[in-house]
Amino acid sequence: MNSKHIQHLYWRAGFGLNPKELEKLQEKSKKELVNNLFLTSKKSSPIKVTAFSDVEMYKNFKMLTSDQKKNLQKLNRAKIAELNVAWVHRIFNPTELLRERMTLFWANHFVCKDQNAFHIQQFNNILRKNALGNFGDFVKEVSKSASMIKYLNTKQNKKQSPNENFARELMELFTLGVGNYAEKDIKESARAFTGWNYKPNGDFILRTKQHDFGEKEFFGETGKFNGEDIIEIILQQKQCSKFICEKIYSYFVSTNINAAHINEMVDVFYPNYDISKLMNHLLLSKWFYNDAFIGSKIKSPIELIAGINNTVPLKFEKEKQLIYLQKTLGQQLLNPINVAGWQGGQSWIDTNTLMLRLKLPSILLNNAIISLEGISEFEDTYEQYLKNRKKRKTYIKTTQNWDTFNLNYSNLPSKQIQSILLSAKLSENAQVLLTEITFENPKDYCLQLMSLPEYQLC
Amino acid sequence: MKRRNFIKNTALASSLFYVPNFVNAFNNLDLKNAGYKRLVIVQLSGGNDGLNTVIPYSNDLYYNNRPTISQNSNNVLKLNNDLALHQSLAPIKNLYDQGYLSIINNVGYPNPNRSHFRSTDIWQTASKSNEYLTAGWLGRYLDLYGKSPHNAIEVDDSLSLVLKGNKLNGMAVQNPQQLFKNAQDPYFKKVLEHHSSQHLSEHNLGYLYKTMIAAENSAKYIYNTTKTYNSVQEYPNNPLAKQLKTAAEFINSGVDCKVLYTSLGGFDTHFNQKQRQEKLLTVYAESINCFVKDLHSNNTFKDTLILTFSEFGRRVKQNAANGTDHGTANNVFIIGNNLQKSGIYNEAPNLQDLDENGDLKYSVDFRSVYATILQKWMQVDDKTILNDSFKQLTFL
Repeated sequence: MNSKHIQHLYWRAGFGLNPKELEKLQEKSKKELVNNLFLTSKKSSPIKVTAFSDVEMYKNFKMLTSDQKKNLQKLNRAKIAELNVAWVHRIFNPTELLRERMTLFWANHFVCKDQNAFHIQQFNNILRKNALGNFGDFVKEVSKSASMIKYLNTKQNKKQSPNENFARELMELFTLGVGNYAEKDIKESARAFTGWNYKPNGDFILRTKQHDFGEKEFFGETGKFNGEDIIEIILQQKQCSKFICEKIYSYFVSTNINAAHINEMVDVFYPNYDISKLMNHLLLSKWFYNDAFIGSKIKSPIELIAGINNTVPLKFEKEKQLIYLQKTLGQQLLNPINVAGWQGGQSWIDTNTLMLRLKLPSILLNNAIISLEGISEFEDTYEQYLKNRKKRKTYIKTTQNWDTFNLNYSNLPSKQIQSILLSAKLSENAQVLLTEITFENPKDYCLQLMSLPEYQLC
Repeated sequence: MKRRNFIKNTALASSLFYVPNFVNAFNNLDLKNAGYKRLVIVQLSGGNDGLNTVIPYSNDLYYNNRPTISQNSNNVLKLNNDLALHQSLAPIKNLYDQGYLSIINNVGYPNPNRSHFRSTDIWQTASKSNEYLTAGWLGRYLDLYGKSPHNAIEVDDSLSLVLKGNKLNGMAVQNPQQLFKNAQDPYFKKVLEHHSSQHLSEHNLGYLYKTMIAAENSAKYIYNTTKTYNSVQEYPNNPLAKQLKTAAEFINSGVDCKVLYTSLGGFDTHFNQKQRQEKLLTVYAESINCFVKDLHSNNTFKDTLILTFSEFGRRVKQNAANGTDHGTANNVFIIGNNLQKSGIYNEAPNLQDLDENGDLKYSVDFRSVYATILQKWMQVDDKTILNDSFKQLTFL
C-alpha cells in the first residue's frame, strides 16, 4: 500500500505513525496491514491503577463522618486522575493499537462518569474488552455496570416509581438514535430495567423486590420482558445497526454520511453485530482511502497530543498538567461534557482553543509558557478557587525524547517530513510558505510544520 | 529576522512583535452614544445558598430548618417584613435602595437536576432538563446577531458552552494585551499572509483558517480599542473584581461587545457554610459595587444590565456539617437603572410546600428571565434564540 494510505490507516485506526514504523510497513499489502491491526489487538489488557480497597468505604458512606467522606472523595479524585494519565499513556504507547482507538471511540458513545474510581476503572475496562467484540454483549455489559447504573439513574428505577432516564438514553444515545422509538417504548422498557443494581465490588445484582415482573409491550411485542430481552428486541431493529454504522463512519471516515457506504456497512453488521467484522470491512474498503477523506478530520485534543507525542515522545513532569491541558483544550478523559458526549469536528475549535492548539507544539516541545488560570472544580472552596486562579502562568514542564525523534527524522529530506506530519493536502500557497522556510535541522522544521493549521487535521 | 530568533518567537512567550497599526472598521463606531445595550452576567459557581442570601427572616420554618447556619434577624439588612439581605451585601442593599436592583425569587425549571455540571449546562444552554443542546443561549444569540467572536466575551481563559454558537463562537479574553501578543506571533502572521481565499472554501481547513483570521482580527481590535483607556476606579483584589474591571474597560472604551460573561467559584458550601458564604458574598458585593461605580462615572451604567445567577440553590434543611446540600430553585439578581419593577419582584420562597427532596419549588422559569432580557433589553427575537416562547416578565 502507498505511504499516504498507510498513514491514513494509522491515523484513523491508531494515533499516527513515525517514519521508521512507516518504512517497516511499506512492503505490506492492505490486507496484511489490516490483518495485523486485528492480530495485535487480539488480547485485551485492562488498566489497573486502583483496587477495591480504595473504595470499600463507600459501602457505608452515610455512616462516615464528614472528614472521612471528604478523604474518601479526595482519594477517589486522585485515583481517577491517575486513571486518566494511565489511559493517556496507553494511547501514547499502545500495544493493542486498534483496541485502544476503539476504546476511545466507545468511551464517547457509552458516555459515563463516576466519582468511584474503582467502578469507573471497571467501566473503562469493559469498553476495552468489548471494543472489538459483539455489540449486543457490549450493550448488556455496559448497562449492568455499576458506573452506568449510577450515571443514568437505573439505581433509582424501581417498580413502585420507575425512572426512565436509562431506558431513554439506551435508545436515544446507545442504540437507535432520537426519534426511532415511541414514548410508550420508553415507559414500557423502563419497567424491564427496574431493580437493576450493583454490589459494592461492582457486580450486577437484580433486586427482585424492586423489579417489575409483569407484562410489557415493546416495539409491538408483548411479554414478561426483562432488561436483556429489551436489549435483544432493540438489536433486532435494523435501525440500531444503521445508527451504530453511521456513528462509526462519521468518526473513522467522514462526517459527510454517504448512504451507499452505510448500506454496505449495515449489511455486514446486521444481524450479528460483530464489531471486528464491521471494522475489518471498513478498513479494507476502497472508499475508506478516498482522497477526499484523507487529512480531512479535525483532530480531537487527545489525537493532537498523541500525535505530537508520536513525533517527539514526551514526559510530563507534573502529570496533573496533562489533565489541565486536556481540560483547556476541551476534552478531559473520564470527564465528558454531558451524556451525549463530545460533538467532535468543528466543535473542538473556537478562537481560544485554536490559538492554543497552534501553539501547542511550541509549548510542549519548546518549553513555552501557557496560562492555565481558571481551572477550577465546582466543589472547590473559595480558597482553593483563589489558589487556582493565582497560578497565572505555568510552564508546562515536559521532558522531550529527542533521541527517538532524531532516530526517526534526522536523515529525512524535508519533503518526506512534510508528508509524514501533514496529512491534509497543502494548498499552493502553503507550499510557497514552506519553501520560504529554510531547512536547517529537522527539529525546527518539524516545529514549524506542526504549527500550521494543516497539522490540526488528520 | 534570523531564523533562530524566528523560532524563539514562535513560542507563546514571544516578545511583542510590532506591526503597522491595522485600521479595523469597527474602530470607528462610537458605541457609547448609540444607546448600545450590553448584558453582563455573573455566574456564582457551585450553587449559592439563596436562602441565606435573601433571607426569609420572619419565617419560623427558616430557623427550624437551620438551627446553626441561619442568619440572626438582628444582623440582616431588611428589605421588607419578610425578606432581608445577608449582612455582607450592604453595597447591594444600597443598589436596592436606589431602585437599581430587582430580586426575582424562586427561579428554576421543571424536573431540576442537582448535578453542578448538568444544571450549569441547562442554565447555559437554556435547555429542558432532559434535553442536550450543543450551543449556549448567548451563542445562539451570536449566531443570529453577531459578526465577530468579540461580540460576546467571557472574561476568562477558556470559553464556556454559554457563548458557543452553532455557527459563531464568542471568545474568552482574560487579558487583552496577552491575547494580542499571542495573536501577533510572527509565525501566525506569516501563515495568514500566505493563505488564499481558495483555502477558505475547503470544509475543515477553511474553517480553521477563518477562525484563525477572526482570532487575529478580534485580538487586534480589542487591544487597539482598550489600550488608551485607563480606569481610575479602584477595585478590590479578588478574581471577580479583576474580571469586572476588565469588563468595565471593554464597556467604557466602547468595544463592540454585547455580552460579557464573568464568574465566581467556591459556592459549594456543604460544610462550614456560615463563614464561607459570608466571605463569598462580601467578594461579590464589593466587586459589583466598584463595577457599578466605574460604569456610573463613565455614563455607561444606563446601558448595562447585570444578571447574577447560580446553577441551583441549596436545600432548605441544613446538613450535619453546618452546611447545605444541592437544591433547586434560587433567586436571581437583576441590576440596572432602567428597571420597570425594582425591589422584590415576586413572592418569597414557600418553605412549607417543598418537593420530595425537601427543596424549593420554582415558580419562575429561568428561560422567562432570558426571554425578557432578550426581547426587552437586547431587542432581539427571544423565541428563535430560546427555541420556544416563554412568558415575558415585567422587571424590564
